[in-house]
Amino acid sequence: MTETTQFRVVDFDCPTCASTVERALAQTSGVETVEVHYTTGRVEIAYDPDVTEPGDFQTTIENQGYTPQPA
Amino acid sequence: MNVTQYYRNHRKAVVTAASGLLYAGGWSLGYATAADTASAFVLVLAAAVGGYDVAKRAYYELRSRTVGIKTLVTLAAVGAIAIGEYWEAAAVVFLFSLGSYLEGRTMRKTRTALQELLELTPTTALVRRDGDVVEVPAGDVAEGETVVVKPGAKVPVDGEVVDGESAVNQAPVTGESAPVPKTSGDEVYAGTVNQDGALDVVATGTGADTTLQRIVRRVEEAQEAQAPTEQFVDRFARYYTPAIILLAVGAYALTRDVLMALTLLVIGCPGALVIGPPVSIVSAIGNAARKGVLLKGGEHLERAGKIDLVAFDKTGTLTSGEARVASTPSREEAVGDAASPPVGVRGFDYDDAEALRLAAIAEKKSEHHLADAILDAARGAATSGGVRPDGGAVAEERIPDPDDFEVVAGSGVVAHHDGREIIVGNRALLDECGVTVPDDVAAHVREREAAGETAVHVALADETTDRSEATGDGTVVGVIAIRDELRETAPRVVQELQAAGVRTVMLTGDNERTARTVAEEVGIDDYRAGLLPAEKQAAIEAFREDGHVVAMVGDGINDAPSLATADIGVAMGAAGTDTAIETADVALMADDLERLPYAVELSKATRRNVLQNVGIAVLTVVLLLSGVLTSNVHLAGGMLVHEGSVLLVILNGMRLLQY
Repeated sequence: MTETTQFRVVDFDCPTCASTVERALAQTSGVETVEVHYTTGRVEIAYDPDVTEPGDFQTTIENQGYTPQPA
Repeated sequence: MNVTQYYRNHRKAVVTAASGLLYAGGWSLGYATAADTASAFVLVLAAAVGGYDVAKRAYYELRSRTVGIKTLVTLAAVGAIAIGEYWEAAAVVFLFSLGSYLEGRTMRKTRTALQELLELTPTTALVRRDGDVVEVPAGDVAEGETVVVKPGAKVPVDGEVVDGESAVNQAPVTGESAPVPKTSGDEVYAGTVNQDGALDVVATGTGADTTLQRIVRRVEEAQEAQAPTEQFVDRFARYYTPAIILLAVGAYALTRDVLMALTLLVIGCPGALVIGPPVSIVSAIGNAARKGVLLKGGEHLERAGKIDLVAFDKTGTLTSGEARVASTPSREEAVGDAASPPVGVRGFDYDDAEALRLAAIAEKKSEHHLADAILDAARGAATSGGVRPDGGAVAEERIPDPDDFEVVAGSGVVAHHDGREIIVGNRALLDECGVTVPDDVAAHVREREAAGETAVHVALADETTDRSEATGDGTVVGVIAIRDELRETAPRVVQELQAAGVRTVMLTGDNERTARTVAEEVGIDDYRAGLLPAEKQAAIEAFREDGHVVAMVGDGINDAPSLATADIGVAMGAAGTDTAIETADVALMADDLERLPYAVELSKATRRNVLQNVGIAVLTVVLLLSGVLTSNVHLAGGMLVHEGSVLLVILNGMRLLQY
């Protein structure tokens, strides 16, 4: 089973910040694919709902110092 | 909102402000008094407060195996404290926090520009259910339900008008400046504004499945696609940072100047270079979206910025595409009586109305747009005068189906009915069928064509005529002049493009004379007449070989190959058709050319803007590097210039939001 979820991060301040978040999310167990776009702030994650849940992603993004909003 | 939550939401601002205050305090302490230790303490505190978040993010950077600016800034600040440069450490951290705060804040504006577009869709809808009108969430409206849209209200769903009459402001979706009249059978889009009358609309798309939503999704995809400049800059950045770190190590090894080495670290992120181009492009795409123009991505945008020739398809692009039998008499004829048929029809030794009727029979099953015009005119002629109330049925009786018919591509049709052969088409078709065209007919045709109309011959022959040889059998019985009105906006659009230094060319399947007249009416620079679809492609190929960057404008459906051949394919009327959006590089949502000059000029402005941003970034790097290596720029100064340049390119790029 794969589910997808989206967030919008409006306060990325540099392209590298977006790729750092992308890698951090990709390292989360249960995450299958991640796309993080600096320009639009759109974060799209495909994950296995048996292993992880959107709340985990929210925490990961917040830990990096950014504010995710539900898209 | 309580204090904790406020802090959570505005953490960056609070941290930056605190760090700034401490920095100012520490600096004044050191400046005004001799309390060096106290001053140093406050400055280190300022660096710690501002730097905690930076260091934390540096940790994440390293964990994901990137050396980014946060890592470099952290290193520089720690290094500065280690060598006793407290003031520099605090200044670097404060300026960096301030810079990133402002950068995040300004980028937020470009990122939310599209959301504003979506917020135009109302959240609730009035729906007719069980004889009542009830208010429900817009997303809960089922397809096929009837939605009531009051005057002044926004349309909550995509749908078809089934009752009422009104003008609808479609600017949010199509960018059209003038309201569009709507009545039964017309399509309306969610997010548009109903202006004067109530409308009953049967929903065809609701919730996330509306034209506006689809457009916004596509715009986002476009914004996320990397332009060639961005890819180049990203590749460059990947080597730039490690190179600067090596340079810092090298500089330290040679000069033993720690401050210089640390300063090199601070400027080691080509911030303005990587941020500039995407901000320009995202702003431009966002701006275009709000004006009903979909730019498919940075790559297309960068190419569109080089356009120097725009080729237009004539039918449906420069003209309305609604062909009608001409209602103006030719010069040689007096204005006839008001009765049918339209004066664009002329019989030769034959009844005008009967010639039209024969043409209508032959064209009845054809799907060509000229066939529709002939059928409409024939039905109108049959019913004019109000002789019978049930005119439609009469018309259908009077225009029977042909026994058979054959379409000759680009020429016309040959059909059989009632023991006769009916040939309807251009001169080439008549020649092919061996029908002689008398001089008076040819003269009449020339005259109508010179008026910008398409003249269609109607000829009759015996069914038994052997087509294997030109027998000269068959008689021209009439000529039907068909007119396709120019779009009102066309001449102005052409003029604006010319003013922007763009050459304009019309491509058409029409004959030379008709094409020349239309070209003159529009004021277009050049035209190519008598082109078959494949020849339009060849014409575009030829322009490209001459070194032009060519945009081709069409409806995106019939002319998809030509659009694909051009450097930039521009489809119009894209709000209605997904195919057009698929094939085009630039899609004009409105079924109109109005926004074309804007799209071309915006692309050019974007190209300039990207170049300016790259210029600012490169200049900054050169200035900083030479400043640092000559020991004229130290930590704080370097950081100030670096952050300043990043803000400058963001603000410069954001000018395109207002273009």
